[in-house]
Amino acid sequence: MWRQILRPVIPMRFSGNPLLCPSELKVHQQVRTTFILKRRWPVFLVKKGRDPSSKKMRARHYVYDLVEDTDVRIKKDLEVILTDFVAGVGNRGDRITMKQSAAYHKLLLPGLAVYASPENIEKFSHLKDEVDYKPKYSSPFVEKTMKILQNMNVMVLMNKDVPWKIEPWHVRISFRKAGIHIPEDAILLPEEPICGPNMEMENKFFEVTVTINNTEKVPVKCVIHHWSTHVSNKLPPVDEDDQPRMPVFPVTVSETGSQANSDFSTAS
Amino acid sequence: MVEHLHCRALALMCQSNSVSADQTDHRRCVSVVIMTGRIISSICCGIRNGKFVTPLSVGVSELLQVRNYAARKGTREKARKKKVKVEVKKAEFVPHSLRRKKAAVRVAKRIDDSMKPDPLDNVWSSRHYKWPVYSFADAVQCHRETHHPTVYNSPDADLYVNVELDMRAVKANRYLDEFTRIVSVPHPFRTDSPRSVLVFCKSADLQRSAMEAGATVVGATELIKNIQSGELSLQDFRFVVAHPDMLPELLSVRGLMKRKFPNQKSGTLGVDIPDIVSRFCSGIEYTARVDTTLKDFGWIFTSVGKLDMDTSHLEENFSAVLKDVYSMRPNREGQFITKCCLVAPPSPERLKVDYSQYIDEDDNKRAEEEEHDDEEEESETEKSELEKTSAAVVG
Repeated sequence: MWRQILRPVIPMRFSGNPLLCPSELKVHQQVRTTFILKRRWPVFLVKKGRDPSSKKMRARHYVYDLVEDTDVRIKKDLEVILTDFVAGVGNRGDRITMKQSAAYHKLLLPGLAVYASPENIEKFSHLKDEVDYKPKYSSPFVEKTMKILQNMNVMVLMNKDVPWKIEPWHVRISFRKAGIHIPEDAILLPEEPICGPNMEMENKFFEVTVTINNTEKVPVKCVIHHWSTHVSNKLPPVDEDDQPRMPVFPVTVSETGSQANSDFSTAS
Repeated sequence: MVEHLHCRALALMCQSNSVSADQTDHRRCVSVVIMTGRIISSICCGIRNGKFVTPLSVGVSELLQVRNYAARKGTREKARKKKVKVEVKKAEFVPHSLRRKKAAVRVAKRIDDSMKPDPLDNVWSSRHYKWPVYSFADAVQCHRETHHPTVYNSPDADLYVNVELDMRAVKANRYLDEFTRIVSVPHPFRTDSPRSVLVFCKSADLQRSAMEAGATVVGATELIKNIQSGELSLQDFRFVVAHPDMLPELLSVRGLMKRKFPNQKSGTLGVDIPDIVSRFCSGIEYTARVDTTLKDFGWIFTSVGKLDMDTSHLEENFSAVLKDVYSMRPNREGQFITKCCLVAPPSPERLKVDYSQYIDEDDNKRAEEEEHDDEEEESETEKSELEKTSAAVVG
């Protein structure tokens, strides 16, 4: 019976911290399961003045119907206060409502948050107002956006027949087509103008610098592809990451690349 | 019982021996003794089993079961009827590769981004956040940018609208059918395939105006004769429009026209011939299609104009189409139009457009309220009637 009731503690796979789940530690904890039952045939009352324990129970009095298994009850969301910056979740001092299990394993166990009890709310209210605290990023979601931008090749589609010069709005619509929404003033083109149509530039990349929230700067690869309105004049579609692409301006790219490498781990 | 068996074995021996020619008296008398013993034992046996068995039946009973009393009438027939014929179906061989076939994967065609967070930064990916909702003018402007001469170089590309519909009907588990309609638009544009219209009207003025509106062939009784003789094929025309004064003559070719016969419901019969003709010639035709698996998912993909048209003209066309679609809504709670996107091929972009201002959602609510009021009134009148009757009974 005890073997059934005691089971090993659930491995803390959410936290991702190996220190938190040593493989040899086997803590047995009682499983807190409550089942609400109901007698199918109720026991009738004893006569007045009689001892209830003297009542003889029949076999049918031990037949139960399940009313509710409390283990599968939907758990309420948990409110926590962040004590540190958590990427993708929030800043220090933010009050966040999350699923119980996720909040416990992701935030409470690693010590990134505390329960939002009235005492804790009062205790950690100063976190937001601290002047000397500077968060790592301008917003908790910036890190993820930067990763996405670094890993992508934005296809800049330009016409094969009409002369053009790449302007910020060309890059903006290319980003929009790729599903990234950027204001035009956040895009910084390379200093050297890129003009075409020029078949030598086909399937070569240049780097633009995207400034997120006016603070974080990310170099993003933009690949030039020529497109013709006439079907017979069309070029074959660009292969996705089959071969390493060549830069449009070898010199400038190496400079920006070295800069980028110092700041971020750029995707090759 | 053992004794009985023993006797029977001996009797069999005797029968086999009797075939041989040299039979001794001794043996015969032994066999007689055995026979008598057997009869006695069989009687005893019969009594022991609680059944009455006559000695005469005993000799034959070894080979064939015979009853000396009649079976109950209809028993055999009853038994025969009771026997259910079980047909053994031979299972066809199914190759192993085809066994336990997986159900087709359901593709969620209706994408709901309401659970996704609102973007907070100025740079964000639409994969992780809610889609931006553009105003109509902004969306058109975005498409004009992508169709700029330096990019796609097709500034006169068709602008399409993709409307997603919730096809649930009034009753649960019932869905609307596919429907095709033609809307007259305030600013017609060139369509790829001109629709051919045959017009029947008597007065010369109307005939002239119908021709001006874009009718293919216009005429009166002489056309009917041509149709009957086969000179004019009805298959060359998509629509047949008629003035009501031509109806008596048209009845003679009703069988030839079949579904194309002008009627008011489809809008092909009316007094205002030029208006009808222009609607069928230059109006926007759209079909609401229904998904084969997700019966509640319907969509419309139709052109509303060209990108080089004036934005306000495009907007008016768009508004006319949306209003017409919205007029097909079932009388139930919840949205009918769930999403509206502007698309301009060859660009793969789909821009979500705010459509709420073009359809009068309040109109629907008002109608519902009126219905409620009617119901209340009815119930009130019922109540008063009941009171009256009860009063009469009391009186």
